[in-house]
Amino acid sequence: MFDTVLIANRGEIALRIQRACRGLGLKTVAVHSEADRDAPHVRQADQALCIGPAAATQSYLNQTAILSAAAVSGAQAVHPGYGFLSENAGFVARVEDAGLTFIGPSAACIRTMGDKVAAKRAMRAAGVPCVPGPDEGLPDDPAEVKAIAREIGYPVIVKAAGGGGGRGMRVVRDESALVDALSLTREEARRAFGNPEVYIEKFLLHPRHVEIQVLADRHGHALWLGSRDCSLQRRHQKVLEEAPAPGIDPQAIAAVGEPCAEACRQIGYCGVGTFEFLYEDGAFFFIEMNTRLQVEHPVTEMTTGIDIVQQQIRVARGERLALSQSQIGCQGHAFECRINAEHPQTFAPSPGRISDWVLPGGFGVRVDSHVSAGYRVPPYYDSMIAKLVVHGATRDDALDRLRLALDEMQVGGIQTNLPLHRRIVREPGFAAGGVDIHHLECWLQGPGANS
Amino acid sequence: MDALQIKTFIDAMASSDLAEMEVGHDGWTLRLVRRPGAGAAASIPAVSRPPSAPKEPRAPAAAPVAQPHELLAPLFGVVHLQPAPDAEPFVVEGQAVRAGQTLCVIEAMKVFNEVQAERDGVIDAVLVASGSEVEAGQPLIRLR
Repeated sequence: MFDTVLIANRGEIALRIQRACRGLGLKTVAVHSEADRDAPHVRQADQALCIGPAAATQSYLNQTAILSAAAVSGAQAVHPGYGFLSENAGFVARVEDAGLTFIGPSAACIRTMGDKVAAKRAMRAAGVPCVPGPDEGLPDDPAEVKAIAREIGYPVIVKAAGGGGGRGMRVVRDESALVDALSLTREEARRAFGNPEVYIEKFLLHPRHVEIQVLADRHGHALWLGSRDCSLQRRHQKVLEEAPAPGIDPQAIAAVGEPCAEACRQIGYCGVGTFEFLYEDGAFFFIEMNTRLQVEHPVTEMTTGIDIVQQQIRVARGERLALSQSQIGCQGHAFECRINAEHPQTFAPSPGRISDWVLPGGFGVRVDSHVSAGYRVPPYYDSMIAKLVVHGATRDDALDRLRLALDEMQVGGIQTNLPLHRRIVREPGFAAGGVDIHHLECWLQGPGANS
Repeated sequence: MDALQIKTFIDAMASSDLAEMEVGHDGWTLRLVRRPGAGAAASIPAVSRPPSAPKEPRAPAAAPVAQPHELLAPLFGVVHLQPAPDAEPFVVEGQAVRAGQTLCVIEAMKVFNEVQAERDGVIDAVLVASGSEVEAGQPLIRLR
């Protein structure tokens, strides 16, 4: 059983993982790029190793450098965080071949879920509701594809089997556009993902993005930890998340949650994961599974009282889950705002030195961040600098707390999206709850967003 | 005018709805232009300055066209002198360029910001190495 964890990530999530490790009495090894020498998790680590220059391809994505760092530091486990190598089945295999524990699912599970057609087939087998459409790749004969699309009913969406996260897809409104869309998506998929296989689904017009957090051990136990709503998105990037998904009957959530846990048992899944669904007219439709810890995991921690990262590490150590499904509840409501170093209106990135850093606090307020006054946001990585998380007894209570916390938080020296968040939480549609995935972009284009 | 002052003007412009702003002070001219429909691949106009702050409040009217000037980085980031790692550079020393022509790009958080020539001219010197970090306001390219 491992006692030293190498954290193969940076920023707030590296610090979050380090805290979970220390809470379990485990030692940590930080691997960092030249640009992240002064990061707090690097200072606090039992060992810190520089693995390359600032560019992620030469450091946080450099598998050989990370494995060498594990060897010389004596780390016996690797936590990938999110992004970077967290869903790279080839890396997982190399970690396991080196005799180390990967804190996450097996390479086989990541491969199955990374192929969106294979994932859909596995989900249907476990009774998870999926978007209407076949769970196999499309045939080459255009006449056959037309027949399939007609049976589903237009509009349809053509998707790359190797895609995901909003990439490699094209909406088709009627039959005349189908053949062109098919060949374009195939070509894009071949170039972008090295896999030209495409499949077709019903295109939902006004869905919400609702997801189910799961947790599974190596002994055949799997739990679902409730729902999150991540419908507030811009260009497929989540901006603000909440738990639970508002306005959905808890029994309906349970009816979709239990098949998710069952799917984990069937595929031998171990660790934490997220089943993403579209939700429209009272029905859930599976779109993909993320086989890793997610950015927005804290909202579920707040409503379940479970430290998801500690649980993830415990099951990777081979422990049995000490919880049963009946012990998992949903207390109150939580929100998370992703605070990014970007212009609040143009969304232009704004790296640079942070001169002022005033955090909100008080009952029910949590900030996950690696940043402090004087920190220089590097231009090499993504723009998220903090996650502001609040919890309240009810959604309205949490929303009031969020408004105050956003007003209290001040960041100087760079531009941030704090002003955007302050407007979002006062927007009537969002305040009422249950908006669809197009709501934020529509609102941003309208006159209300800047007033 | 130093980098901090320039950044102050950029920030003021960014947080307003102004389409264009021109500031003259002590022999400097700073012109900021917002291009309509600028999105993720926004082009940020460069800042220009004469080679040395002239003593006289007004330079002779004929001089500016032939005067060299330096193109300054509009933001903190990584400068790229060619569009792709294995491609030819955007410009080379001695090359004639037109106003609006892309001379380099600055990458910040996966967004590539084109830096364009403010006026017609000839590339006198490239002052930075491709792939290096540049500060906001740092001279990138000298035009003559």
